[in-house]
Amino acid sequence: MIKRYLALTRIGIMRVIQWRGSLLITFAGNIVYLLIIYNIWRAIYSSSPAETVNGMTFTDTMVYLVLAMTIFNVLNIFIVWIMGEDIRSGQMVLDLIKPMSFRSYTFFSTLGGNIVQFFVVFVPTFIIVNIITGGAIAIGLNIFFFLISLFLAMIIFFFIEFAVGTLCFYTESVWGINIVKETMVLLLSGAMIPIAFFPAGFRNVVNYLPFQAIYNTPLRILTEEKMPLNNILQMLFVQLIWVAVFYIAGGLFWNISIKRITVNGG
Amino acid sequence: MKKIITLKNVSKEYKTLNRREGLRGSFLDLFSRNYKIINAVNDISFEIKPGEKVGLLGPNGAGKSTAIKMMSGVLKPTGGEIFVNGVIPYENRTKNAENIGVVFGQRTQLWWALPLIESFKLLKDIYMIKNADYDNMMELYKSIIDLGPLLNKPVRQMSLGQRTLSDILASFLHNPKVVFLDEPTIGLDVSVKSKIRELILELNKNKNTTIILTTHDISDIDALCERAIIIDKGNKLYDNSLENLKKFFGSYRTLKVLFKKNEEWVDYLVNEDEQSVMQKLNEIAAQKKIVDIKIEEISTEDVIKKIYDGGIND
Repeated sequence: MIKRYLALTRIGIMRVIQWRGSLLITFAGNIVYLLIIYNIWRAIYSSSPAETVNGMTFTDTMVYLVLAMTIFNVLNIFIVWIMGEDIRSGQMVLDLIKPMSFRSYTFFSTLGGNIVQFFVVFVPTFIIVNIITGGAIAIGLNIFFFLISLFLAMIIFFFIEFAVGTLCFYTESVWGINIVKETMVLLLSGAMIPIAFFPAGFRNVVNYLPFQAIYNTPLRILTEEKMPLNNILQMLFVQLIWVAVFYIAGGLFWNISIKRITVNGG
Repeated sequence: MKKIITLKNVSKEYKTLNRREGLRGSFLDLFSRNYKIINAVNDISFEIKPGEKVGLLGPNGAGKSTAIKMMSGVLKPTGGEIFVNGVIPYENRTKNAENIGVVFGQRTQLWWALPLIESFKLLKDIYMIKNADYDNMMELYKSIIDLGPLLNKPVRQMSLGQRTLSDILASFLHNPKVVFLDEPTIGLDVSVKSKIRELILELNKNKNTTIILTTHDISDIDALCERAIIIDKGNKLYDNSLENLKKFFGSYRTLKVLFKKNEEWVDYLVNEDEQSVMQKLNEIAAQKKIVDIKIEEISTEDVIKKIYDGGIND
């Protein structure tokens, strides 16, 4: 049973590494982005009288943001686009006639993309960051918890994407919804600005939203080496709750939508 | 005899947006929507026995694809019921999917960027095909066509004919009880068409697979099917053996004549029992100068017209 899912992931990996060029462009694009955020945050820190802002040094912030960007690359494999296009063109019919649930089918066939990005973007960036900063990130048990947390983040992110993709059934267009989703996720998850920099009230709200579980949780587990085990487990537990919520709610939403489609015609 | 597919009074209505014309119309559509109900399939019933080869014939937009989508569980009928191999397809889509194979002539289920063999291996895992069964199937394929040049070719580099052939092979891979072929020969030239027909016949013979084929090309049905169901505007017009159909239309030919270059071809429907094509041609030539001629089989549209005119009953 599990073999069919692994087979999907395996072919997903093969499909992604076919396109060497696109991997290179991702890499180049990241360097440009890094230069920009480096200069912005340099300016922010030099205008502040203190060494640390909101409890984070310049190095802390940079490490956080660089890794956030690489996680963005690992997670973001354009599921909304793929689903939107498949719905628009009717190609989705071919996935619907497979003897598997459509959501698992999509998850495992796109997981290959996540895995490739992890090795091509995250691992090298992590090594470079650690060399440049002279070992800013401790290497120990935190890596283990980080990997678990990242995998959970990946599932939560997938569920959000899948739900937005399902919305395409109703709107027949992807562009607008996707922009809204992307901005919301990047901002509210702490991928663009560390959540430590948010105003206190806003930070409280954000803590109750699922988005912080995508970037903030794995990054804090990775970078805060002195975090007590209890806190780590608690954060992982919150992630698990979000996985469960999205698993159920997203599944319901999908079932209602697909019924509507099969009733009204796609 | 056991039935593998049963359709009982199946209907399918679509609600589509009636878009108004022009900029003003588009603007109005934003506020008030005007829906139109289309009866894609209208109270159709039929039964199909295991191993049968049935052709669903009809012009574009007749409701053939809708019927296929309902039988494969992608669409739910608005009325009536369907059983495929004892399963209600739209209520148990994944269970039904194990028993069927589907080919849509204008789409591919193969993985575009990868060599064909990778798609096969993946389908093997998805459908949980046993190694021995998979190997047997591959042996069978190799005995029918020359697989060698196809297996290691990325699907995106294939010609349309090769791709369709590969898609058909992929749909039979898990040895389904029923294979639906929706316009499999669309856009193919004559020699590839005949190759594809041979393949389908051979697979049907070897595995006793039930074949449901939709087409608007009457020659597909002629080459493949024992039984024809003709659908037009969602209604079933005819359901009987192909032989019976041929009794009525076997002697009909479409004579296409071109009178002037760059003009439209003019069609004449000739019943050879009454008048030979040559006689008709002489008749025409006596009145007008002919630039070019073509002789084709009777078109689906003409068959349907004849049925409406009461020329045939089943």
